[in-house]
Amino acid sequence: MQPLANITLLKPAGAIEVRNVGQVFKTTTQDVVALEDVSLDVKPGRFVVLVGPSGCGKSTLLMMMAGLRQQTSGTITISGAPIPEPDPNRVGVVFQEASLFPWLTAEENVEFPLALRGITKSDRRARAQDALKLVGLDGFGKRHPHELSGGMKQRVSIARGLVQDPPVLLMDEPFAALDEQTRMTMGDELLRIWAATGKTVVFVTHSLTEAVYLADEVIVMSPRPGRIVDHLQVSLPRPRTYEMLSGDTFGSLRDRIWRHIRKSA
Amino acid sequence: MSAATLRRLIVISLIALWEILPRAGFIPELFLPSLSSTLAAGWNEAGEYGHALAVTLYEVAISMAFACGGGILLGAIVGSLPRPRILIMPMVSSLYAVPLVILYPVFTIWLGIGSESKIAFASIYGFLPTMLATAAGIQTIDPQLLLAARSMGATLSQRLVRVIIPAAIPTVLSGLRVGGALVIVGVVVSEMLISSAGIGYLISRYRTILDSPHVFAGVLLVLAMAIAFNAAIKWIERKAAIWQTGTRAGQSAEEIAPAALQPAT
Amino acid sequence: MQSGPGVKAARVAILVALFAIWEILSRTGIVNPRLLPSASDTLMTLSDLLQRASVRKDLAVTATEVVTAFALAVPVGALIGFLIAENRYFADVAKPLLFFAFSIPKSIFLPMFILVFGVGFAQKVGFGFFSTIFIVIMSTTTAVESVKVEHLTVARSYGATPMQTAFRVYLPSMLPVLLEALRISMIFNLTGIILAEMYASRDGIGHQIATWGENFQMKQLLAGVVMIAAIAIAFNELVRWVETRCSHWRT
Repeated sequence: MQPLANITLLKPAGAIEVRNVGQVFKTTTQDVVALEDVSLDVKPGRFVVLVGPSGCGKSTLLMMMAGLRQQTSGTITISGAPIPEPDPNRVGVVFQEASLFPWLTAEENVEFPLALRGITKSDRRARAQDALKLVGLDGFGKRHPHELSGGMKQRVSIARGLVQDPPVLLMDEPFAALDEQTRMTMGDELLRIWAATGKTVVFVTHSLTEAVYLADEVIVMSPRPGRIVDHLQVSLPRPRTYEMLSGDTFGSLRDRIWRHIRKSA
Repeated sequence: MSAATLRRLIVISLIALWEILPRAGFIPELFLPSLSSTLAAGWNEAGEYGHALAVTLYEVAISMAFACGGGILLGAIVGSLPRPRILIMPMVSSLYAVPLVILYPVFTIWLGIGSESKIAFASIYGFLPTMLATAAGIQTIDPQLLLAARSMGATLSQRLVRVIIPAAIPTVLSGLRVGGALVIVGVVVSEMLISSAGIGYLISRYRTILDSPHVFAGVLLVLAMAIAFNAAIKWIERKAAIWQTGTRAGQSAEEIAPAALQPAT
Repeated sequence: MQSGPGVKAARVAILVALFAIWEILSRTGIVNPRLLPSASDTLMTLSDLLQRASVRKDLAVTATEVVTAFALAVPVGALIGFLIAENRYFADVAKPLLFFAFSIPKSIFLPMFILVFGVGFAQKVGFGFFSTIFIVIMSTTTAVESVKVEHLTVARSYGATPMQTAFRVYLPSMLPVLLEALRISMIFNLTGIILAEMYASRDGIGHQIATWGENFQMKQLLAGVVMIAAIAIAFNELVRWVETRCSHWRT
């Protein structure tokens, strides 16, 4: 799988290409098809949201894009090259709330990926400061996770994902554990950070409102086996505002996704 | 092979090895007499062991009433009152670090070498962990339950009878299990140290004349006692399993028990 | 558990009150002073005992046994516990057996150690090891299981090597549980060694306490009890202090 060297030149950083990907989990009694023939193109700098009911394989797909899990069939390339194992220079990952190390301070958590690379302390600290400033946590670096609110913890997670400046940011239901207000604020914050950095973002969520509010494109998936059933372009202008939530465009997009999900659930 | 099958095989082969190794002369009979000669030794002196068992059981029963009764009662009181809890619990758990066996000589001077000193020692030995386990368990009662009861206008005594006591049953049982096991140990150890009756006394007496089969017959009897006690508690726990949902996060007695690990040596 | 200065003062007051009651009971003769020498007498005897070469030697013997048994039981138990926890099948097979071994009384096997090792250093250390190892194994498996899958995934997604994962994720995750295990194991270990010394021995502080008891030397006996209690509590509090210092890890 390595005749891709010349293609790499054609594919700009941040492009994601998913081709006919399948994933089968083998258990002792039977094989479970988690994903079947999934194909998807994400252009650099786009904000793409994956939605679908539980068990549709959206998180599995995300984990494969992160190199944390290998597909059974098909290919996935990030910036033109396959991703057989995690590569933090190409992909940053933001997980659900529990993923910060409780024994490290906020800035140490952000420095963690850099420390693994053996980057010097002062260099690390400077880059962590920049990342924390970017997510709006300037001055909170010395706090431990238990001293931070849920929203602040997720900002730290985002900073950790961005600290190595990868072109792609993958987010696995990052705001699922937050309350409604914090969730809305964090959505706006994420859009601000995204606009400032120009990253490609792939974002997994359960929330239809969140999906439409954040996305350039929404990919709707259905379970058993996990497949893509719809691919919507969200034409709402940016910056997105709270008022759009009650508009007709928003409502009809949300309806369209909901009909797919109701059918498959 | 399933884990349970392998486990059974291991147990069976251990028992077989206990018979074979001493018989074949791989282990001197002085160190480990074979299973059959141990059982034979016990059978031949059945009267003596029976009498000793009666003495030991009598001491265990009375100590258990003191240790578990007192421990559960005090644990429930201290556990449900925040101020005494903060004040006293750390002191009690410090005391728990003391090898209490050094108190036994004091009791023999005060109470003589009859049953009284054993009962005093075993009661204290079982008391502390029972109290700690109960106090810890009382705190795991879901405050939502109490809140709900209050919203329905339950009086303090109604809350105690209808909410606190039923919700505390798994805790009380785990306290009973920890304390009861320790009481057995306490009685047998004190009999082994200085005594003139009981299974512990028999073990020590046969040990001084290097009569291994009789020593092991005694050991086996104590083991049987401990196992029977455990089984009895487990049986009651299963009967009361319904109540276990009353604790926060469905914490079962099994999980609470290790929190008050027994200093059973 | 948070405790302000008021709570600490109250605890000291409780302690002082207990000693005062002890002193008064004995001084006023409510309790026969020969059965309960006063607190002040006991403490005087204690400082006296600590000057004696023979008592110091006994303490040294016990300390050596305790440290040796601990130094053997902790790494061996931790290794076994780690291997069990890392392999699901092993864990399924071994856990119920271990839980059983853990729940049966260990002290009744003390005579076996005398039959095998005779009376001496090896028997004490052997019994101390035996009393301690099961709790070390159990706590280590708990510690390994306390490592969160999410944290391991994060480390992997940032390309951590196995060594980096061990030192940056496993170790810090496990540390609070391991400290607690260390504390509890030491309680088991100390109890085991002292019991072994009291049961059959030629030296060690446990043996000395048993001898004072047999000779009705109440002052020395109580002084010995206070001494051992103080040492055990001091160690316990030391480890707990370290535990609270890294208590934020727990959350």
